[in-house]
Amino acid sequence: MGEPAAVEAPPGAPIPSLAHVITVSHLSRRFGSNLAVDDVTFRLERGEVVGFLGPNGAGKTTTMRMLTGFLPPSAGTIEIDGLDVLRDSLAVRAKIGYLPESVPLYREHRVREMLLFQGRLRGLARAETRRRASAVLERVGLADRARSLIGRLSKGQRQRVGLAVALLAEPEVLVLDEPTSGLDPLQRMEVRTLIRELSRERTVLLSSHILPEIEAVCPRVIILHRGRIAADGTQEQLVSQLGAETRVRLEAATGDVDVAREALVALSAADDVTLTGVDARAGNGVFHAFELSCSGDPHVLCEAIGALAQRSEWTVRELSWQRPTLERLFARIAFELDAERKPTRESA
Amino acid sequence: MKGWTAIYRRELAGLFLSPLAWILLCAGTLVNGIFFLLVLGSNGGEVNSAFVYLLGSGVLPFWLLVVVLPPLLTMRMISEESRSGMLEFLLTSPVSDVGVVVGKALAATTFLALLWLTTVGFGLLVQALGAPPDWGQLATQWLGATLISGLFCALGLVFSALSSTPLLAAFLGILANFLVILAPQYVSSVRWLDYAPLRGLARRVDVLQHFQGSFLTGALDSAHLVFFLAWTSAALFLAVRVVESRRWLG
Repeated sequence: MGEPAAVEAPPGAPIPSLAHVITVSHLSRRFGSNLAVDDVTFRLERGEVVGFLGPNGAGKTTTMRMLTGFLPPSAGTIEIDGLDVLRDSLAVRAKIGYLPESVPLYREHRVREMLLFQGRLRGLARAETRRRASAVLERVGLADRARSLIGRLSKGQRQRVGLAVALLAEPEVLVLDEPTSGLDPLQRMEVRTLIRELSRERTVLLSSHILPEIEAVCPRVIILHRGRIAADGTQEQLVSQLGAETRVRLEAATGDVDVAREALVALSAADDVTLTGVDARAGNGVFHAFELSCSGDPHVLCEAIGALAQRSEWTVRELSWQRPTLERLFARIAFELDAERKPTRESA
Repeated sequence: MKGWTAIYRRELAGLFLSPLAWILLCAGTLVNGIFFLLVLGSNGGEVNSAFVYLLGSGVLPFWLLVVVLPPLLTMRMISEESRSGMLEFLLTSPVSDVGVVVGKALAATTFLALLWLTTVGFGLLVQALGAPPDWGQLATQWLGATLISGLFCALGLVFSALSSTPLLAAFLGILANFLVILAPQYVSSVRWLDYAPLRGLARRVDVLQHFQGSFLTGALDSAHLVFFLAWTSAALFLAVRVVESRRWLG
């Protein structure tokens, strides 16, 4: 259970589901007049780790709730391991470990009791539950908290108990809704490391509105915006779609700013030059900060700038470049879609 | 029904982990004891009629407790769990909706069965003092009290599933229980409602009559047993439907 190499299909499962654990097609969900999820289609292969990225209200939670069988879709179908979420609801639910955003736990119970309850819900034998409970608590780093009251734990600890509960039955698919929200940076790092470890053995779908989160854990990203899939691919693919977006930063004491800018604009590798700051209090004269965008190899532009600086006798204190980030892609997608849809719909 | 035992055990444990359960149990036993002594004092020490009063004929404390306690026990079971996200956890577990509702209803009923069992404990006490009660009648009374509690727990769950807050659920539940008990009495006693089919209907749904006419007198009649089980199942079915509709509403 849960091994990425497990290719044995359950009896009666359609053949296309062998490689794909999750198949979502034309999924929509309407709340009254509000279309929360709008014609979403994607597939997850066994062992994939995919991040749902999107601003609040983009439809991440609604999609996850439909995947886990909590919400029935308004239209479209979901298959988990070849089983339809609505028709074989109980069988599907047994395959999924779900950590909702609210991290539901009975606060009046002890950590161990919550895990035993989960074991009973999942129909595990008592001895098996006990064995696994110790193992998952070890795994989330709460082995010494088994007897603590859940209500007395910190937010980060509760989050990890939630993860332990979701992991207990060793599900094939893990669905984690904002698994790091409300955690401090250190706890966030711990949870991230944990998810990365888990992803080696099972399919993980997690959501976040925090980019670095997704960048650190998920090779593949699905960007949701206003209920639609705005982008779907590996981080490299998505970033390369950005094209001319590599930013080169130069900080130098250049004497006359306008002359310097002219010289920079004249460089063939530079597409665009903007003056982003002035520092007049530095020891070696007035420093100006420029940002240049380039479509080609950033090294070429940097070399050209270096040569120019030497010729013009500038004092350079910074010359750096940055690959385009998901963040910029995300901002652009959000901006473009908003611009496109403004006339018809104002709010999400 | 899949998975109801897990829910049942969790709910029962949850009840006994909260102070409310212990307070209700203690207060219930205390009030029952006081009334037991009062009735015994006033009827010249007739033990069996005192038990009849305590487990069925007395408005105070029995009917008040039967009307008020079940909604208090069930009020949080769905409304609060829906708010805290616990319901989302349960409904995404491999447990059927029926299992969730039945487990919760049985847990609340079990608690009340225990409360009524303390009254049976009084029987042991008076037997030790040399006045053995009619155990068969007492057992039937206890069963009847438990069945009627089960019906009201199921009704309480319906309102817990309908309401957004536990307080509202308790209020509606208590109101509904009063109606269930009093409406048939009203219909069959008021002159201007003297219409045979209506009175016939009132007699069919008369919880009070079905309880006092059989269980209270020590007669275990399958017809009355079925009456309670059928209405309880109907209420549970309704509760399951409301929980399902919560999924659709999100």
